[in-house]
Amino acid sequence: MENIPEHAHTHKNWFDKNYKLLMILPIIVLVLSLFYLGFFYSKTGEFILRDVSLSGGTTITLQAEKFNINIDNLESQLKQEYGDINFRKLADLRTGEVLALIIESSTTPENLKSSIEKSTNIILTDENSSIEFTGSSLSSNFYKQLIFALVLSFILMAIVIFIMFRSFIPSIAVIFAAFADITITLAIIDFLGIKISAAGIAAFLMLIGYSVDTDILLTSRAIRNKEGFVNQRIFRAFKTGILMTITALLAVLPAFFLVTGLPDSFRQIFLILAIGLFADIFNTWLTNVGIIKWYCVRKNIE
Amino acid sequence: MVSYKIWILIVALIAALLFISPWGFLEKGVVITSLEKNSSEYNAGLTSGTIIKEINSVKINNVQDYNQFITSLFGNSSLLIQEQRITITTSSDTLVFLTNKPLTMTVSEIPNSKLKTGLDLSGGARALIKPFNITLTDSELSDLIAITSERFNVYGLKDITIKPVKDLQGINYMLIEIAGATPSDLESLISNQGKFEGKIGNQTVFIGGKDIAHVERSGQQAGIEGCYANNEGGEYCKFRFAITLTEEAAKKHAEVTGKLSISTENPAYLSEKLDLYVDDALTDSLFISKDLKGRITTQIAVSGSGVGADRQAAFEEAEANMKKLQTILITGSLPYKLEIVKLDTISPSLGKEFTKNLVKLAIIAFVLISVVLFIRYRKIKITSAVVLTMFSEAFITLGIAALINWNLDAPSIAGIIAGMGTGVNDQIVIIDESISSQAVSLRERVKRAFFIIIGAFFTIIAAMLPLFWAGAGMLKGFALTTIITVLTGILITRPAFAEMLKSIQKD
Repeated sequence: MENIPEHAHTHKNWFDKNYKLLMILPIIVLVLSLFYLGFFYSKTGEFILRDVSLSGGTTITLQAEKFNINIDNLESQLKQEYGDINFRKLADLRTGEVLALIIESSTTPENLKSSIEKSTNIILTDENSSIEFTGSSLSSNFYKQLIFALVLSFILMAIVIFIMFRSFIPSIAVIFAAFADITITLAIIDFLGIKISAAGIAAFLMLIGYSVDTDILLTSRAIRNKEGFVNQRIFRAFKTGILMTITALLAVLPAFFLVTGLPDSFRQIFLILAIGLFADIFNTWLTNVGIIKWYCVRKNIE
Repeated sequence: MVSYKIWILIVALIAALLFISPWGFLEKGVVITSLEKNSSEYNAGLTSGTIIKEINSVKINNVQDYNQFITSLFGNSSLLIQEQRITITTSSDTLVFLTNKPLTMTVSEIPNSKLKTGLDLSGGARALIKPFNITLTDSELSDLIAITSERFNVYGLKDITIKPVKDLQGINYMLIEIAGATPSDLESLISNQGKFEGKIGNQTVFIGGKDIAHVERSGQQAGIEGCYANNEGGEYCKFRFAITLTEEAAKKHAEVTGKLSISTENPAYLSEKLDLYVDDALTDSLFISKDLKGRITTQIAVSGSGVGADRQAAFEEAEANMKKLQTILITGSLPYKLEIVKLDTISPSLGKEFTKNLVKLAIIAFVLISVVLFIRYRKIKITSAVVLTMFSEAFITLGIAALINWNLDAPSIAGIIAGMGTGVNDQIVIIDESISSQAVSLRERVKRAFFIIIGAFFTIIAAMLPLFWAGAGMLKGFALTTIITVLTGILITRPAFAEMLKSIQKD
């Protein structure tokens, strides 16, 4: 038996009084995120900042150890030549040593390659660099399809949830939490100015699947189980769920704090999952909990 | 007594171990990666994937041994006067054949295991191609793939896979993947339509592929003729090779030349030249000897050149140009003008670094999760059971990847780690249910845990499914490994974990 204070179900406790208020917090964050996305859209015409794999263009990754050059020089020269250049350094977290340079632009691989060669005086070969090119028609096609996949995946998830719980409010609560996770994560990613790749959108799909775990746990424990009181069951679900989220975060966070030199696609998948999991803690344990508690009170589930 | 659920897990782990076969380092020899059709070693019965142990009783332990031996046998010559008797001992057989040409097969070290990494981790090139402005039907695409494969084959590029892919809108693409180093002329080789025409005036006399019966590729009838300095301080080299026209094309040639007059400026030749076009661009103009007027001749010499900063560079360029021209003459032109919509060339050395770091990351995640679980439950047995289950899921997924020959790219590995993450989640649910209030039977509690687990399972499957098609399947790996990992979880490791927990609690 869990250690839940005896008075927890004898008279109204803090949670009983304040759960509706707690719900408001993540909802405010969600509304702010929606506003930000709207603002972002009005400014850029897009909800997502697309990288070259989704907008067309070239990425060249230079292996830094083979380019003993002044990086800032290269950056400023390329910036002069191409207005849209995106220049990133992949550095070792502890030593600060630059491992790779990632250079992106909407130009053709031939142009970007020769500009880099001119600036560095080093011929690019497959020994010292990688070159990735995506044509603009293909990338916009990919983008449309991945967004369609994202919507489809959300609908499929919603269907699964409805089949599982067969009651409207609890199902909507779970689906709402997943929606909030995606929206808040996207707003944060946009705010940070991170350009999303094809792999990044795949991460959002994964987030849909990942984030509903804890919501399913909560809903099933609170509504389907009968022993103990609702608050006890919710508290137990919280203890389980928070550990689930912590372990999931432990699987993804080392990619940012302990291990460097990971493929870009991989890091982006993990970054989106990490932000989404953080958002999920609030959306599940403040909003979803509130809705479920409310539902239980209304339906006289004890 | 040990439950059958545990036995299923043990059998799955053993099967995965066999599929992965991580004992490649124990085996000595080299593995054949590709062979040319109709080469003497191909005819002797060698196939790609065969492991060579010995050649002519000399032990071949690695690629270096192989190269040393081949050089000692053939030197640098392309043709030997005397035929050599070659005895190759493979891991299962001994084959004997005679040849006077150096072996054309390529070999590599025996891989450590049957796991294959994707392009972004092992290096190589990938191109996604579609015809300009039109959408291909499935059968048109397979024709295109056949011609392209032949072109690569004739050109001598090996270790290439070409396959059709379809995206969500039903657009067909040709996907070309080349492992390891990227050939420098890959781009021109795949995107050039390779329409070759011989024209006199504005009349087409012959076209590449169908009008050409034979193309000389080596020996006296093909090669670099000479190198000269050019005006810009560089060098250029000329190549020439003979082609044989079909009877029909030769007649047409005779018909056209029959109508020409003798040139007034150059009395040894006819008034018009034979112009050679590749993809509608004039590449060469040849004088036609006056003796050929109206004569049916099947032998024609095709020439061209290559330029470079120095003689070596010009020579190499001319050789490469000759090879390209020969290739398109043999294979004919592609039926469509092609467009490379995606082209990635990944450095093998960057990929090696990535793989190392991914392994490091996986180990760190394992350790951190174990520590946190131990802090929460304070039981070494429960923690070990979770760690064992996590490891089993990853290992079985890798086994399945090896079995279906899946190339593990970075998103695939992210999928495995994310799948393991949901696995840990499920185990936490099972543990918490099983240590919860004793008012409900254990059976009921496990049933409840599985309701949550199965719900989570179906939502993740639903979420990942659309990725199989979206974006021409470029992110299929991510969806596939995630689904395999959660499927392994739900079918094999989760039931076994529940059993382990039961016996831990009995103690």
